[in-house]
Amino acid sequence: MKKQLREIIESLIFVSLEPLTLNKIKAVLAEYSEDEINKALAELRENYASNERGIQIIQTGGGYIFATKPEYDQWIARLFKEEKKNRLSSAALETLSIVAYHQPVTSAEISYLRGVDSSHTLKVLLEKKLVRIVGRKKGPGRPLIYRTTSKFLTHFGLNSLNELPSQQEISKILEEE
Amino acid sequence: MNSSESYQVNLEFFQGPLDLLLFLIRKRKIDINDIPIAAITKEYLAYLDQKEKINLNREAEFLYIASLLIYIKSQVLLPREKCEEEKDERRILVDRLQQHQMIKAASALLKQREAEELKKWKRRTLPFISLCQETDLDEISLFDLAQSFLLVMKRKEKEKWQLIEGQEYSLEDKMKEIISILKENGYMDFYDYFYQQSCLEEAFISFFGLLELIKNKLVLAIQESLFRSIKVWLRHKPVFKRK
Repeated sequence: MKKQLREIIESLIFVSLEPLTLNKIKAVLAEYSEDEINKALAELRENYASNERGIQIIQTGGGYIFATKPEYDQWIARLFKEEKKNRLSSAALETLSIVAYHQPVTSAEISYLRGVDSSHTLKVLLEKKLVRIVGRKKGPGRPLIYRTTSKFLTHFGLNSLNELPSQQEISKILEEE
Repeated sequence: MNSSESYQVNLEFFQGPLDLLLFLIRKRKIDINDIPIAAITKEYLAYLDQKEKINLNREAEFLYIASLLIYIKSQVLLPREKCEEEKDERRILVDRLQQHQMIKAASALLKQREAEELKKWKRRTLPFISLCQETDLDEISLFDLAQSFLLVMKRKEKEKWQLIEGQEYSLEDKMKEIISILKENGYMDFYDYFYQQSCLEEAFISFFGLLELIKNKLVLAIQESLFRSIKVWLRHKPVFKRK
């Protein structure tokens, strides 16, 4: 029975395009206890983590999803004929970190912190669905306010905003410079 | 032409005036709290002088910080009873620089994470059936729809609108029309549909009709990827196909 549970979870994650949250797994498998599910999930992940697999189950964006192991990156790039990775520009990264650490935040606040007009970069991030508009700020002009999305978390392999680089990590970088 | 090219090169180097300032400060290996304003201003201006022409639109931010530096220095030089204001301006600038430094460090860390993450490939598409789930609905927001609508209308604006007097459109009819198109074809292309509308009024009513249908969860609007057309599907209870 236990063994079967593992395979059920495996199939659920397999058919998910977005990270599958533990809550959703639990909702589907109402007949199993939380402990059983956690244990089966851990076994399953361990199983995939072994050296005999090209894929693994990673925890990102607050859920579980299949992904390839990083060491096989170059062959997949060859398959898709991708020579260069589609990385975010430094302007986009800066803007994103401001939104991530200062959210909810307006376009003017971002531009002030960066010292450069950021409305264009913000628009690009909006189109990429890495940030979203959550409403308008009360006050003059009622400017739009922005937050990061779950796609932002997945893009950086984070499970929640709490996993953003901490103050200590940032200070460490600054000291090194 | 030349000036914009040189700007491009510089822009890659410095993400704006704060970046340039930080670079100059770091080069001298001085404490950010203890900037020799005069010397730094001189170097900063020397950098601006390198450019033959100043493009005001793009470099206003650089000039703003330059004037701020000069202002701070002038406040130091002028004898004043109270010099609190100078300290404030200076304090604000130092705060901004420190914030900027932290943002740069944070984005460097995020960049590393991104590189690691990009090595783990995930599947990008699944059979359509799985898209019928509730979770994917927020994929396309009201902003996306409204923007696409505007785009089609702008394109259409270039052509001449025909004004047909007396013709009235009802929201209900339009909703029925959309549903019948969906029933017949299975899906509807957002752009094609709105491109066919004969006048602005009809287009608006159709658009409101579509929004109403989405709100009542009768149809789904899905954009498969960025810049791709938006497709509208009839909604039914998710059915899981057995393979």
